Amino acid sequence: MDREEVNATSQIVCVWAGILCPLFLFAGLWPAMKFIPPLNPAASAAEIATIFQNNTNGIRLGSIFIMIAGALYAPFTAVIAAQMRRIERGSTPVLTYSQLAAGAASCLLFIIPGLAWTIAAFRPERPPEITQAFNDFAWIFVVMPFVLAEVQNICFGAVIISDKRTTPLFPRWLGFFNFWIALSFIPGGLTTFFKTGPFAYNGLLAFWIPAGTFGPWFIVICVYLIKAIRRQQAEGSA
Amino acid sequence: MNYGAELHSSKCRGCEPQVDHVPGEPGVWVLLFGDMLIFSVFFVTYAVHRGDNVDLYRQSQSHLNQVFGILNTFLMLSSSWCVANAVEMARMERTASSARLFRLGLLCGLCFVVVKCFEYGEKVRYGITPSTNEFFMYYYLFTGIHLMHVVVGMAVVGILSSYVQKGVIDARRLRNIESGASFWHVVDLLWIVLFALFYIAV
Repeated sequence: MDREEVNATSQIVCVWAGILCPLFLFAGLWPAMKFIPPLNPAASAAEIATIFQNNTNGIRLGSIFIMIAGALYAPFTAVIAAQMRRIERGSTPVLTYSQLAAGAASCLLFIIPGLAWTIAAFRPERPPEITQAFNDFAWIFVVMPFVLAEVQNICFGAVIISDKRTTPLFPRWLGFFNFWIALSFIPGGLTTFFKTGPFAYNGLLAFWIPAGTFGPWFIVICVYLIKAIRRQQAEGSA
Repeated sequence: MNYGAELHSSKCRGCEPQVDHVPGEPGVWVLLFGDMLIFSVFFVTYAVHRGDNVDLYRQSQSHLNQVFGILNTFLMLSSSWCVANAVEMARMERTASSARLFRLGLLCGLCFVVVKCFEYGEKVRYGITPSTNEFFMYYYLFTGIHLMHVVVGMAVVGILSSYVQKGVIDARRLRNIESGASFWHVVDLLWIVLFALFYIAV
């Protein structure tokens, strides 16, 4: 009984990491780096270099926030896996493992672009083409690799709707909600072909739709994770 | 078809007029409405950009092969008809006919994919690619993302064709069948809008 309660506390801490993760990401991207709205992929190297010269320390600071967001994503992934494991208990938890593996890799989707931006801002006086290359590297790294989120969301969704409990651990609609989030990330995968328009990395379909669904996803998932943990606690002490 | 008489027989569950019947489970509509919402954003984006450059779009649209478009619309509607009737058959516990209709729907879906491959192939042979102009970018990407839905939908319909034969169809199983079928109908619906937007030049 005691063990269950201690465990619930650590799980809640992990959920809080999930709440802080998008906040740190946003704090890094917006007030610090001033990267919202995103930089224009069609801008010239000189224009991009000027942005990095004018806000050098803001970008450096923002990269630290984004790095922290990446780290916070790990415990968040872990607590999702822990609750998925409860549903997959009794069978081989391959979907739980897949979600955990994809989530672990996803941490780098925050950390690597954060570092690429800070490398671009490390020597702002260098030839602009180099700064532009690192900036492109970072943006494409943020927008394009939707595939890991697909694995995470589809595995999580599939486990939720496979729950055989009379009252499922997560509401079934949350499973379908996960599938929908997975869907909303797809247009980002096409960004490499475009420098203007909705599929460019500052575009409506590649950036704004995924950005708009990613935030609510965190909130909804965190709310239902806390409910599942509270229930585990109640069942554990009962 | 003469299903009408059977629809009202006592054997048919879920066929009585139900005012507040949601097809499938309510949760699946989070995905279906969400999907339609994203496609609505696609359609509005297309419409707005078309408005900025009507001549280019009209001229590009004339290069689309209407035959492929109409053929695919026919295939989509036919497959939806098959799937809808397969669900009716499942309700009446005529599982063998239901499975047959699901497989027929799957076949129509497969033909849709084949036609689309020929269509893309023809365009590429003429040197028309997503980078040709803005219209063709939308054409390839939106129909491509839709094609991905068709493939996922085919998997769903394929699963349903064996699922209906896996024993007695109780309320829970019927609900799952309806959920899967609803997804296929959304895929069909989205194609109808894509067809109207791309192939019917106004």
